[in-house]
Amino acid sequence: MNAILALAIKDLRLLFRDKVGFFFTFFFPLLYAVFFGAIFSGQGGGASAMKIVVVDEDSTEGSKAFIRELNESAELDVDIKNRDEATNLVRRGKRVGYVVLPQGFGKARGRVFGGDRVKIETGIDPGRSAEAGMLQGVLTKYMYQGIQDAFANPDKMRKQINESLAEVQSSEDMDPTAKATLQWFLPMMDRFLGELPKNEQSNRGWQNFDLESKDVAVQRGGPQNSYEISFPQGIIWGVMGCAAAFGISLVVERTKGTLVRLRIAPIGRMHILAGKAFACLLTTMAIPIALLLLGIIAFGIRPDSWVLLSAGIISISLCFVGIMMMLSVLGRTEQSAGGIGWAVLLVMALIGGGMVPLFIMPAWMQTVSHVSPVKWSILVMEGAIWRNFSVAEMVLPCGILIGVGLVCFIIGTKAFRWTEG
Amino acid sequence: MMRATMLQLTNVHKAFGAIVAVDGLSLSIRQGEVFGLLGPNGAGKTTTVNMAVGLLRPDQGTIELKGVGSPDQPYVRAKIGVATQALALYDDLTGEENLSFFGKLQGLSGRRLAERVGWALEFVTLSDRRRDRVKTYSGGMKRRLNLAVAVIHDPPLLLLDEPTVGVDPQSRNAIFENILALRKQGRTVVYTTHYMEEAQRLCDRVGIMDHGRLLALDTVEQLITAHGGRSILLAERTSGEVRVETDDPLAELLRLQKEGQLQRFRVERPDLERVFLHLTGRELRDA
Repeated sequence: MNAILALAIKDLRLLFRDKVGFFFTFFFPLLYAVFFGAIFSGQGGGASAMKIVVVDEDSTEGSKAFIRELNESAELDVDIKNRDEATNLVRRGKRVGYVVLPQGFGKARGRVFGGDRVKIETGIDPGRSAEAGMLQGVLTKYMYQGIQDAFANPDKMRKQINESLAEVQSSEDMDPTAKATLQWFLPMMDRFLGELPKNEQSNRGWQNFDLESKDVAVQRGGPQNSYEISFPQGIIWGVMGCAAAFGISLVVERTKGTLVRLRIAPIGRMHILAGKAFACLLTTMAIPIALLLLGIIAFGIRPDSWVLLSAGIISISLCFVGIMMMLSVLGRTEQSAGGIGWAVLLVMALIGGGMVPLFIMPAWMQTVSHVSPVKWSILVMEGAIWRNFSVAEMVLPCGILIGVGLVCFIIGTKAFRWTEG
Repeated sequence: MMRATMLQLTNVHKAFGAIVAVDGLSLSIRQGEVFGLLGPNGAGKTTTVNMAVGLLRPDQGTIELKGVGSPDQPYVRAKIGVATQALALYDDLTGEENLSFFGKLQGLSGRRLAERVGWALEFVTLSDRRRDRVKTYSGGMKRRLNLAVAVIHDPPLLLLDEPTVGVDPQSRNAIFENILALRKQGRTVVYTTHYMEEAQRLCDRVGIMDHGRLLALDTVEQLITAHGGRSILLAERTSGEVRVETDDPLAELLRLQKEGQLQRFRVERPDLERVFLHLTGRELRDA
């Protein structure tokens, strides 16, 4: 056991002293997890509010209230500028678009019936058509918000009706039939609103529902944030890098002659391989632990089950120790072992969801992914972090991982070349 | 008095496919001697060492560390120290860490390990570089560390396979001093080389190998006497150069002096190079 420990410590020391290897084992997975987590994050500045400029040519209480509503919305981040400045900002790509509130906007927005239609002008960067559609939707939403407010307030509504009735009566170019209809309808409406009970309970205009919001405990049916998806993927890259590094190091031991020295020592061959496997096991366990701790502390990852997560990490480590042993027999030289080894690992990652999440892939690809240990590795981590797996649900992926590791380890030890040539 | 046998090879054969590397080799290495295996590259020296340390199994014959057993067994290998021809060191570990690691594999630990590491570093005069990574060492320093790894566990038998290949004269001399010191301490050393002057300087007995076979085995003096031929006296006189083979160069020189004035002379004493030439018909360095 002392010899195995000495071999493992030596390998860990060599790994930590190889700056490039250390980077790809620990920091690259972290960068991967954080980078892709941030890209797909809907939180923490991930999907930021659309930046627009508003040109307020009306400059009334109504227009200012509208701008205030836009600014307080989650969808928009609003600056107020004059027309030239607004056009320039959009032209230079500093803002997605501009919105011009013309004179009379404030008055027209609160009006429900009749009157001149107000024309809101928008200017959009032509290269950002997706945002243009979104901006029109948001503007429509907040325009109708004004009408909704009017219907929810009978006094305000009656004032609007009387203003509209005065405009209808004074209008000379309105269609006579429409004019007659409105002259009949608007006073009826005014009377109806005037007869509504004034008590608090019923003073709610035409709003036919109450919306009550309660905080409830979140029942996990999906990831809490995008980092809960990107961290398992990043971890897999670290584990793969570790398996490759240790597999290649066995080849290097042979080509550089240190394996001869190890074989001369009074230890068995299995001790030598066990030492390498033990170092690989420790590292492949340290990577997920370190990254997940960081994810928990800094990126809001909240595992469902620590016990299942531990079981998953051990299964993954055992699997990749076996794969490490298998990789060590794929090439005679450091270069060939590295090249072939990484080619195998990249294919595993590609079809197993290590590069792109499996749920994005087509159905046939998801079926093919069953052959990749990367798929099962990600599944056990996700199962323990956010898929809310039961113990029974964890048994299959963990069993597959351990089985793959065992088979690969046996094949690797049998096929390992102890001598050059 | 004849010293006891430390390592016994009996009728050992080893072939790699059609190539016979060692062909019926029988050797008795005596306790406390420095035994030289001299021969050109490809003579079978390294294969012999690899079999003696258990890296290779002979196709025929036996190898035994007397009173202990076959080097196939780990506990037998613990009695052997090996300086391999290829430098077998971890470049990214320091000299001290290399020694400590290989010492642990030999079963050392704690204070004993620390003592042996310190001793080995002192022995090869690398104490001042103990905390430097091996990749910063010169070739000669690496060779010395390679030797230190071989002696870290204080083995009674040392197999040194071409331990001076590619080193500067200073490091070579340091390694020679180390080997002579080990002999003084009673260690048995098997030293393979293709440099006859090294064998001549260090070895109590020398076995000359070629094409996997042992051609001759004896002390350097006896080998020269038996196979080196006579000394050659080269004298230059006004009348021209004279070349005389003789068993007594001094007497011959006096005789030539009486015959006429000598301008200069040179005596070529027989050496292992001449022995090898005599035994194989080829020069050692050309073989």
